[in-house]
Amino acid sequence: MQRSTSLRPQLSRRRFLARAGGIGLTGLLGASAWEAMAATLVELPMVNGQRELVTDFPQKGAMLLQRTRPPLLETPFEVFDQGVFTPNDRFYVRWHLANIPTSIDPATFRLNIRGHVQQPVALTLDELVREFKPFEIAAVNQCSGNSRGFFSPRVAGGQWANGAMGNALWKGVRLKDVLDRAGVKAGAVQVRFSGLDTGLLPQTPNFMKSLAIDHARDGEVMIAYAMNGEPLPLVNGFPLRLVVPGWYATYWVKMLDNIEVLDKPDDNFWTTKAYLIPDTPFANVQPGQQGVKMIPINRMLPRSFFTNVREGAVLKAGQGTTVRGIAFGGDTGVAKVLFTSDAGGRWQEARLGPDQGKYGFRQWEVPLRLSSPGPHKLMIKAVNTAGNAQPDHPNWNGAGFMRNVIESVSVQAS
Amino acid sequence: MSTNLRNVTLICAVPILLGVALATGLAWSGTPDSTAAVAAAASGPVQKWAKVSVELPASHAAFPPGNGADIANGQCLICHSAGMVLRQPPLTLDEWTGEINKMRNSFGAPLPADQVGVLARYLVGINGRQQSPKGPAAVDGQGS
Repeated sequence: MQRSTSLRPQLSRRRFLARAGGIGLTGLLGASAWEAMAATLVELPMVNGQRELVTDFPQKGAMLLQRTRPPLLETPFEVFDQGVFTPNDRFYVRWHLANIPTSIDPATFRLNIRGHVQQPVALTLDELVREFKPFEIAAVNQCSGNSRGFFSPRVAGGQWANGAMGNALWKGVRLKDVLDRAGVKAGAVQVRFSGLDTGLLPQTPNFMKSLAIDHARDGEVMIAYAMNGEPLPLVNGFPLRLVVPGWYATYWVKMLDNIEVLDKPDDNFWTTKAYLIPDTPFANVQPGQQGVKMIPINRMLPRSFFTNVREGAVLKAGQGTTVRGIAFGGDTGVAKVLFTSDAGGRWQEARLGPDQGKYGFRQWEVPLRLSSPGPHKLMIKAVNTAGNAQPDHPNWNGAGFMRNVIESVSVQAS
Repeated sequence: MSTNLRNVTLICAVPILLGVALATGLAWSGTPDSTAAVAAAASGPVQKWAKVSVELPASHAAFPPGNGADIANGQCLICHSAGMVLRQPPLTLDEWTGEINKMRNSFGAPLPADQVGVLARYLVGINGRQQSPKGPAAVDGQGS
């Protein structure tokens, strides 16, 4: 694919030039003002959108800091222009609970399968690798709240731009095969997953998520021990992470060490009270709307993005260039990606890059020549193989989940 | 399968796999679903497991001074760093109150009920906005 240097992403970035003492920031940052002086700041296009680009998280490159503890790290968007697989050291990070083990010894680590099974099993990592058939799948991991910072009206939560997502080639074993080793008993209804992280307070509910037994045994849900050919970075879930292709990342439990087969529906906090969405198309409601049935978040929606042109970019009128980006179908593959350069007047089909698996990112590109000088609105829309398209208007809900509106950028031709 | 046949299969499989790899790597608008092919090709060297020890950076950020800053520093920082609060959009008094009560009721923050109002007013002071005249808060107060 041809690379166009004229459209390299322009980060709104400036060196932070506070002088020794950092007077204006000491109140806000306290002791870290000194460290912040060397930091690169990035303005995300939202109110209160200033973020530090940090490099001090282990096994990670430069990431946008949403929260230090427990870590919330966003992938800078220009990373998505580099290819469909997101490098491990730039893959976003999202933890709920701050007690995260910082040392994992594979010699003593065990994956426990228990509950409504014939015989409980505790597997070592070597047993997982040696005794089960390996399985590999490309899949997008996207935070339920990706793009929450663009909700209008704004809602509380992690204030992500569009970088709380990533695509990796996950390698490991099928969950089904591991469940079969323990022997699921008749009457099983759900499987519950938890990892090594815990809350700071004993009364904080442990992070646990559940899937229906048939979903857990569908042959696609898997336990990954490698990500893009390497062990997972610790903050992405080393040594094992649940992979639930097509579903939001809340189910992709990190540092997975506990699999519990349930013979009655899970009633834990994280399943019944958190991560609920309105049971409406696109989980969309009006602000303040009452009496809506709420259900657990589940399948992802289609999305597409520009990766080599940004809001406010200036293009040469009359000169040809290539606009490109990425798309994914959500819970199924991408059927087509549609592009318009006249605010939706006329849509044309973008050329799609190689298919690396229906749950992964797919690159798209279109040749573009803006003949008339002045403002132009470029828009991009993915349609998945189930026929579902991104909506014209932003979906909204109070938790800030599942944003998937058509993306647009306004550019200037001169 | 005889040894000969196995050899033949191997010899044939290599160019076929190469062909598949080339086709996938070069052909734009490829087949719509290659998940099965990817899964079938899963193999590679056995994973070597090494012990992993890392250090997570600490946050030294504190809340800006004001009436209620001591409560924020004493309570909010038990479970998360201050940046989470400071990077929120400006919220109304009702919305901040909702967030505080979520932390108390869902996550067990040991904040006495009679300090909720002081903390909420403090948060509005450092990162707030006027109550919308149009009624209910936009935030639904989930634990996520």
